[in-house]
Amino acid sequence: MDTQKVDLFMMINGKYFKAEHLNYIREKLLGIDETKWNRIMALDFKDPNSIMLVSLIGPGALGVDRFLIGETGTGVAKLLTCGGLGIWTIIDWFIIMDLTRDKNMEKLQAYL
Amino acid sequence: MSRNKLYLVLILLITAGYCWLGWSLTQTTHNINFTPCPIKNITGIACPSCGSTRSVSQIIQGNFADAFMLNPFGYIIALAMLIGPIWLLFDLISKKDTLHRGYHKFEQTLKIKWIAIVLILLTLANWAWNIYKGL
Repeated sequence: MDTQKVDLFMMINGKYFKAEHLNYIREKLLGIDETKWNRIMALDFKDPNSIMLVSLIGPGALGVDRFLIGETGTGVAKLLTCGGLGIWTIIDWFIIMDLTRDKNMEKLQAYL
Repeated sequence: MSRNKLYLVLILLITAGYCWLGWSLTQTTHNINFTPCPIKNITGIACPSCGSTRSVSQIIQGNFADAFMLNPFGYIIALAMLIGPIWLLFDLISKKDTLHRGYHKFEQTLKIKWIAIVLILLTLANWAWNIYKGL
């Protein structure tokens, strides 16, 4: 893909990924076929900040934060246990942003 | 989620679950004032799964109808706590990943739209019932 398009992608979507992955994504995107551009631009990435907000307020204790990023299995576990007796809820406040970035990376990885 | 990470999380969850259940079973005088649920602590209103510990302990004592009336979620938890450790041990001993694959299939099933909608509605209905019962 040409540099201009890759830079555009990085500018729009850079905030959805971990900093240490950005270089890898850039290099991979430069190497892939032009035809994948439309599909990659149409990917729906989750914003770590809004997921963090959901996790902090009420729904986080019901596992809604995990349902939103596609971690349905652990989401159900969190819902059934009152947010892991309240402990899991607090742990998730700290790890949910990186978890969201990992999930976004997983989504993009399918096209790289 | 990778196999080993999933199994680690499950081991932690199941151990914590049994510790919690064991501790609450030893409380002979029912201390209603203590709840670990963050939603109930902050808002004073029961969450969809409030009362499931009481429900599981009713199942252990054989009062199945009482358990259902308290919170039907207790049955799901009791089932998971019964099957989970056995399945986990089977996989760990035989070095297979049947539980991991089962977990992924379960996640995919939950993402089917009509199943998700039905389950969300059931959860909301259970929540309304919990608030009505004043758990």
